[in-house]
Amino acid sequence: MFAASVGVDSMVEMSVNTLDSLAKTVGEVEDSGRVKDLVNRALSEGVAPVDIVERGLRRGMDTVGKKYETGEYFLSELLYAGVLVSEALEVLKPLLRSGRAEKKGVIVIGTVRGDIHDIGKNVFSMLCQVAGFEVHDLGVDVAPETFIKKLGETDAGVLGLSTLLTNTRPEMKAVVDMLRQSGMRSRVKVLLGGNAVTRDFAGEIGADAAALDAVEGVELCKRWVERR
Amino acid sequence: MMTPRERFKAVINFRKPDALPWVESFYDEVLLKWFGEGLRAEELTVIEWEMGRGGTALLNWPAVKGFDPYSYFRCQSMLGCFVPVDVGPIPRFKLRVLREDDRYVDILSETGAVLRRMKREAYIWYSMPTFVEFPVKDRKTWEAYKARLNPEDPRRYPKDWEKDAYLKAFENYQRGNTLLRFNGFYGFGAQLMGIPTFTVMFYKDPELMHEMAEHWEYFTTEAIRDAVETLRDRIDMVFWWEDLAEKHGPCISPKIYREFLLPHYKRVTGFLRKNGIDRVMMDSDGNLNPLLDLVVEAGITGIWPLEVASNMDAISVRKKYGDKLFLGGNLDKRELAKGGESMRREVDSKVPALKEMGGYFPGVDHLVHAEFSLQRFREYAEYLRGHLPYR
Repeated sequence: MFAASVGVDSMVEMSVNTLDSLAKTVGEVEDSGRVKDLVNRALSEGVAPVDIVERGLRRGMDTVGKKYETGEYFLSELLYAGVLVSEALEVLKPLLRSGRAEKKGVIVIGTVRGDIHDIGKNVFSMLCQVAGFEVHDLGVDVAPETFIKKLGETDAGVLGLSTLLTNTRPEMKAVVDMLRQSGMRSRVKVLLGGNAVTRDFAGEIGADAAALDAVEGVELCKRWVERR
Repeated sequence: MMTPRERFKAVINFRKPDALPWVESFYDEVLLKWFGEGLRAEELTVIEWEMGRGGTALLNWPAVKGFDPYSYFRCQSMLGCFVPVDVGPIPRFKLRVLREDDRYVDILSETGAVLRRMKREAYIWYSMPTFVEFPVKDRKTWEAYKARLNPEDPRRYPKDWEKDAYLKAFENYQRGNTLLRFNGFYGFGAQLMGIPTFTVMFYKDPELMHEMAEHWEYFTTEAIRDAVETLRDRIDMVFWWEDLAEKHGPCISPKIYREFLLPHYKRVTGFLRKNGIDRVMMDSDGNLNPLLDLVVEAGITGIWPLEVASNMDAISVRKKYGDKLFLGGNLDKRELAKGGESMRREVDSKVPALKEMGGYFPGVDHLVHAEFSLQRFREYAEYLRGHLPYR
């Protein structure tokens, strides 16, 4: 009703302003009420839900990721930004079904067999979803054959393996070996994460990379899918 | 020759001991593993007259101490002799198994958290658990929990809290330092809410966080008051458990630390200082570098274990902060566990320089874990011991 009283150019300008404000609000981890207000305002201005996600929420989350990498933000800001975006996505989810958002890629992730820790994995999973990936999170203590089965069922291009414990690192190698035997290795990038992994270890077991934190992991995934 | 306690006190006060105190902590599962690698149980079993740990009683009879790797390897434990103040929830939650299946067992801990362990671990009680539920989720659950955090509860001190006897016992105890142990506000809150909920709550409900911090300060100060005002500088050091950082950096920003933690920390350390206790060591893994200015401002005067995998470097910290922070640990467990040249390089690159600079006690950058073989640990012990004496 408000939009009816202004011209098309003004509407475009308004919605751009709203999306900029939304990106800024997420990027500066302001309160969740303001994020929801801006999402609703964008909807009332006629902005497509897909654009709200891409040009508002994700842009804001990119800023958060960059600030985390440069040491301006820390885990608390990263997690809270994730909460802000997840809450906004709850509002948009029913509407997104009608205007399909672009899927960046498909990722299968899990904590390897023998380890039941998942904080880092969950942060990574959340960030991947916010970045537009379809994520199949298999949880914790996941057997190698379960990873391989899920990769076979999906067209996942990335397999994320996590472990906190040093004594379960051999499980990562078992998964990589099984992936090689399955014949899917050439189409799947393998990313390692968690406190126990290093880049050297990733090289040793034939994984593609080790991410030292969740934000770095998401950036690697984005780069890989762009090259595909 | 100085006692281990005298050495430790000298180092944390930036005085020169006759030899550096070598300080370690061992996971019990490492000892069990080493028995499998040929360590004879008789060599580690200790029966002696010992003062009780954990704040329940003065033991005055010979006690089987279990396995004591400290005497065997001639190092000393970080956890020496505790001042017996109970800063946990009272009453405790009843420790019990809530559910189990073939693979997992969920246990209600004494702090009210539910933790999960894997049954397939060889030694289930030593495996690292994961937390699946926490007792405080929001304001309502915090209010309920607070009833267990009454500092005036008489059960916080032992029934035989006879101050002169304790003073004498502390004087007699020379195998290690005498320490008062409690949790910083971050450690306290993360233990009650879990890291994801607690760290996000500073944004979602800042008022609740201020209230919790306020109560932490009141609870901590009043719970320890009697011990602090009685024992004063007989307490060698405060062991301030925090664990507030991950590999990438602190779990909370300097801004949050300044707003929510710093004012309370200053008042607690001020109270300690007023009573002659100015050696306050923070126990935290992870990369603490972005917070160190504030940590110093808070009145914390030492850090351990300075985890190398998280970019902590004792030499850089010493250069930047001088005698404002005494330092412990920082020998990269990954390099030490490799043995040989890797181990020697790690020791040589740090211990001589830090020994010269002062205010440092060497040790593995966290607990000695299962990746160490007995042979490699012996090799490390022998090599490090050669670096300890001042000649």
